[in-house]
Amino acid sequence: MKIKRTWIINGEKLEAEVPPMRRFLDVLREDLQLKGTKEGCGEGECGACTVIVNGETVLSCLLAAGQVPDGATVTTVEGLEKTLGGKVLQAAYIEKGAAQCGFCIPGMIVSSYALLSRNPTTDAAQIREAHAGNICRCTGYDKIVEAIQSAAEQWPVEAKG
Amino acid sequence: MSTKTPTSFEEMDCAFPSSLAEALDLMADESTRGRPLAGGTDLMVQWESGVVNRPERSISVKGLPELMGISEAGDELVIGSGVTHMQLRSSDLVQKHVPSLAEAATTVGGFQIQTMGTVGGSVANASPAGDLAPSLLITEGRVVVANREREREIPVTEFWQGYRKIDLQPDELIIRFHLPKKSAESREYWRKLGPRRAQAISKVMGSCRGQVLDGQIQSFRVAIGSVAATCVRLTGIEEWLLNRPLNESTLAEVEKRVTEEVQPIDDIRSTADYRRWVTGRMVRGFLENWLEPA
Ligand SMILES: Cc1cc2nc3c(=O)[nH]c(=O)nc-3n(C[C@H](O)[C@H](O)[C@H](O)COP(=O)(O)OP(=O)(O)OC[C@H]3O[C@@H](n4cnc5c(N)ncnc54)[C@H](O)[C@@H]3O)c2cc1C
Ligand code: FES
Ligand code: FES
Repeated sequence: MKIKRTWIINGEKLEAEVPPMRRFLDVLREDLQLKGTKEGCGEGECGACTVIVNGETVLSCLLAAGQVPDGATVTTVEGLEKTLGGKVLQAAYIEKGAAQCGFCIPGMIVSSYALLSRNPTTDAAQIREAHAGNICRCTGYDKIVEAIQSAAEQWPVEAKG
Repeated sequence: MSTKTPTSFEEMDCAFPSSLAEALDLMADESTRGRPLAGGTDLMVQWESGVVNRPERSISVKGLPELMGISEAGDELVIGSGVTHMQLRSSDLVQKHVPSLAEAATTVGGFQIQTMGTVGGSVANASPAGDLAPSLLITEGRVVVANREREREIPVTEFWQGYRKIDLQPDELIIRFHLPKKSAESREYWRKLGPRRAQAISKVMGSCRGQVLDGQIQSFRVAIGSVAATCVRLTGIEEWLLNRPLNESTLAEVEKRVTEEVQPIDDIRSTADYRRWVTGRMVRGFLENWLEPA
């Protein structure tokens, strides 16, 4: 059994026909070859698989493809490069040395983008809370928080809202 | 029905009803019935890890309009079973009228779990470590469940019947919760102890609702999770506290009585002794809040 869904993924319209319970993570990585989204634990603990669906961050490893509604807007890490905010964040992460092995970064930066899109005047405590579901075993988080604060200061008007 | 157990997500079937009536129709008949799937934050993990066998069919109740929304009805809040933890914590109504529930929701997982996970899923999952249970219990509210024919109301205090056992028939869905608001004079508190602040299963957590007037305890309800097979109200303690003065001797005595009343177990997350001690400190700490201005 398969179900049909039309999604806007990173700005592009996509008509999909997928098994309804296939993990959205597998749809992204295998069917659509969007390998930026990572699988760390597959059990909701690490946040490496974080993507944005209709403005909210979700874990694609716990999301059945059929539960991504028809017409949903999906943003993965690949989509961030196409946005001003995503570029600002990427530059800030690099400048602050916020990535080490890099495995957590796609999920981390997707959470950053979702947070700043909603609230560019965020403080360190809010940043930590909004990234508590993204585990990083390398950096100790301080540089990641600095990067997000720096991105918040430069957050482009076009990306607000 | 065949008995084939799917071994992958791809082999599983799922229905996507667009209304509650349609969902209840599917639940009514054994041939179309399936496992209700809301945010999936418990089920997808249980299936992936093999703790629970994958069912042949699920029924997605996520986002069904009849299960959404938070509203007021007189002295009560009405909260749809499909409301997410994020919606709960962001709701002015919940923050005002059942503040410990809003606070509890902020401590569930990280943001991603909060945007996915639902109240109904948390209640149906019936883990003794479920973070919403204490605040639901202290409201003495009701759970409304329904099948195709009728609705049925169950006091929250009777809904969890045992370890992961709930008062729900195979053809029923959880629809909404009716939660009496706290009075203007009463206060609520929430506390969660775990290994780290986010993304962690509670070792012990609890909520209380109470009122203290001129240094005397007028009312006090307290519920604690992770110390028994279900979240429990400490009714013996509540009764003992009634009309007592809020002073050091009451606090010392209540701490002792709590450690005697709760019957926790040892498990991988903690020991019974630690839980007993912590619960005593927690209830004492709740009461100490009234010694300070609100
Ligand atoms: C990484 C991680 C961290 C977590 N942290 C916490 C935490 O800190 N605190 C906490 O309390 N929980 C935590 N959880 C558990 C989980 O998020 C909650 O229990 C959650 O709210 C479940 O809701 P759901 O909508 O995702 O449920 P689902 O997984 O969709 O369903 C759970 C159960 O509810 C049933 N169900 C769902 N909706 C209905 C309905 N309307 N009627 C009848 N049955 C229904 C399902 O059949 C299933 O049995 C965590 C989970 C993960 C993966
Ligand atoms: S892979 Fe999804 S949370 Fe770890
Ligand atoms: S940089 Fe290695 S896990 Fe975060």
